Amino acid sequence: METGGFHGYRKLPNTTSGLKLSVSDMNMNMRQQQVASSDQNCSNHSAAGEENECTVREQDRFMPIANVIRIMRKILPPHAKISDDAKETIQECVSEYISFITGEANERCQREQRKTITAEDVLWAMSKLGFDDYIEPLTMYLHRYRELEGDRTSMRGEPLGKRTVEYATLATAFVPPPFHHHNGYFGAAMPMGTYVRETPPNAASSHHHHGISNAHEPNARSI
Amino acid sequence: MDHQGHSQNPSMGVVGSGAQLAYGSNPYQPGQITGPPGSVVTSVGTIQSTPAGAQLGQHQLAYQHIHQQQQHQLQQQLQQFWSNQYQEIEKVTDFKNHSLPLARIKKIMKADEDVRMISAEAPVIFARACEMFILELTLRSWNHTEENKRRTLQKNDIAAAITRTDIFDFLVDIVPREDLKDEVLASIPRGTMPVAGPADALPYCYMPPQHASQVGAAGVIMGKPVMDPNMYAQQSHPYMAPQMWPQPPDQRQSSPEH
Repeated sequence: METGGFHGYRKLPNTTSGLKLSVSDMNMNMRQQQVASSDQNCSNHSAAGEENECTVREQDRFMPIANVIRIMRKILPPHAKISDDAKETIQECVSEYISFITGEANERCQREQRKTITAEDVLWAMSKLGFDDYIEPLTMYLHRYRELEGDRTSMRGEPLGKRTVEYATLATAFVPPPFHHHNGYFGAAMPMGTYVRETPPNAASSHHHHGISNAHEPNARSI
Repeated sequence: MDHQGHSQNPSMGVVGSGAQLAYGSNPYQPGQITGPPGSVVTSVGTIQSTPAGAQLGQHQLAYQHIHQQQQHQLQQQLQQFWSNQYQEIEKVTDFKNHSLPLARIKKIMKADEDVRMISAEAPVIFARACEMFILELTLRSWNHTEENKRRTLQKNDIAAAITRTDIFDFLVDIVPREDLKDEVLASIPRGTMPVAGPADALPYCYMPPQHASQVGAAGVIMGKPVMDPNMYAQQSHPYMAPQMWPQPPDQRQSSPEH
């Protein structure tokens, strides 16, 4: 399951090229500015003088510290310095933040007897936990993501075929919902309903709750 | 602070209006530490400030003035930050290169065994959310660095930011008590250190927002009620020595005495 899911969204960047391996490497490098393999990541951390224990498990618990530092520097003045313990503390805070929001989002899923955590669940959880300032920018981000990524996906035949195969495999592993739920561009572009994982099993329930969500927050989902 | 103002949005329905309210409320509450929860803190502050003013008028005013300036600057920076975020996202066209790796985000999400399936969009949203989270936490931490006239962001600056921001309560366990202690000392102007009034006034003012936050999150994390007294204890300089649980009653008893 996890492996399938892992490959599932790693393939998204592949829509720009037919070469799976090279694209994956390029994106990994561009995203992290670190080498892809866990061992080398640990080595990199050691070279950077980080006090973190160098294990795969430890590595996977936090965001790459280079990414974190780069983001921090965006808002700090040029002369600012960041102590090593501050860097590590922010790393820990980010992981805690993800777990905190995910926990709340997952509880909502379970209450509504759904199995897949959606972007809407994440936004709902943030709002419930007080991160109201985040909702408006992220809602726009989600809308733009669906507009742009949906268009690109629908315009590329070959990657489309590959993704169909990928999700067909997933469909074999998981029992697909009885009916197809159109999810914006993705739904329109993929009439075979290959986005099984992204569609809540109970579409009626999904619509209902989105309606409720709209009443309180500008989380309207473009359908 | 700013978030408390925005928490009113559901009833108001307009984010901009909420932001304006949150920002505009500051000038009318010179003595208050937190602007947006002013509707709650104001009444408490008013009651509290009457005897405090009578006894420590001069020190109280000096303290309030200094803190007001600092908080005002931070509020402006935060307002600018969120405005910039919205504008940046309006122009986003590249969804291939995220600031943070989606695979890592998914692994952290899956660390919770209860989590089953995750839609492809969730890590994408998280990537952006975490970037904003890092930026906000860093900005608030740097504010504390500047208060202490340093140029190196340290762990205790992060601890201070966590202590001062309600929505960051869930992070309290990540920073040790020593750093929280530093925050308490740093937040008390040196000139008024010997005076008990301001030291007591600060934790008292912090209490209402914390309770509001605590109540709101009560159904989420069972451990939270325990953390809150702890954090409160750390903020109260005279009561740092006593144990965790006796803190709330002591604080409540001591507050009316002032």
